[in-house]
Amino acid sequence: MVRILGWLAAAGLLAGLVMAFGVAPREVTQGNVQRIMYVHVPLILASYVAFGLVAIASVVYLVRRHAAADRLAHASAEVGVIFVGLGIATGSIWGKPTWGTWWTWDARLTSVAILFVMYLGYLLLRGTIDDPERAARYCAVLGIVAALDIPLVHFSVYWWRTLHQPPSLMKPGGFTGSTSILWPLLVNLLAFVLLYAYFVARRVRLLRAEAEATA
Amino acid sequence: MPDNWGFVAAAYGLTAVVLLIYWRRLTTKERDVERLTAERSRFSAEPSRERLTGERSGLTGERSHEPSRTGHPRPEPSSRPPLQ
Repeated sequence: MVRILGWLAAAGLLAGLVMAFGVAPREVTQGNVQRIMYVHVPLILASYVAFGLVAIASVVYLVRRHAAADRLAHASAEVGVIFVGLGIATGSIWGKPTWGTWWTWDARLTSVAILFVMYLGYLLLRGTIDDPERAARYCAVLGIVAALDIPLVHFSVYWWRTLHQPPSLMKPGGFTGSTSILWPLLVNLLAFVLLYAYFVARRVRLLRAEAEATA
Repeated sequence: MPDNWGFVAAAYGLTAVVLLIYWRRLTTKERDVERLTAERSRFSAEPSRERLTGERSGLTGERSHEPSRTGHPRPEPSSRPPLQ
């Protein structure tokens, strides 16, 4: 199952690359640098999925105390941190030629940086507490609280005046651009969600094996 | 506006490298856990063999009649002179 997920993710990423460089048109204002969007947006949206799942699994853990829910939250947070970190990095690389700066403390960038730091703290917290049950309980609380930042990140471009453009997908009124941009974006989004699912499945399996090996 | 292909290559390249490193790290850790599990199962099998041989030697050897003294462990059956 995990292997199939991996091959699906690899095929999706390959299709995404073909769509981003072969199908999507050159953007009129920004030129070809706009093609960074096909990796930047899916990374950020997949990290929303990751942190949303951390919050859900954390609630399940606090209610039922299932170790499987804690493992899922742990794995999802780890992959989410990588995805959001890459999303910030690719956004910064895109920002330099288009905004003239690598970084600015506007609402979107600041709120996403806070999201990144909170989940990095979540992973560090796990590493600093020896008692696994206590670590799981504290991290579950942090995982739920940190997820409250997701709507703040997404809607910050509407609630405050920012340098960052409004969302391409998931916005009021739906996607308004050309379908030649929409399809490559959707294919890449699907590919990155599949990749996220593959990494999480492998990480959960590894966490279970580690728990069994050290028991 | 110029195309800035260098920035495009940097964004895609960085993403590919980081994701590959994470994939590689998962593979290495999986291998480590497999090795640890194999070692543990071998380790848990060895004491049972020792226990078995110990029991066998216990059948041939006899318990010492010497009183044990604090700080002086009872001599092993194999190191004791045979009983007359």
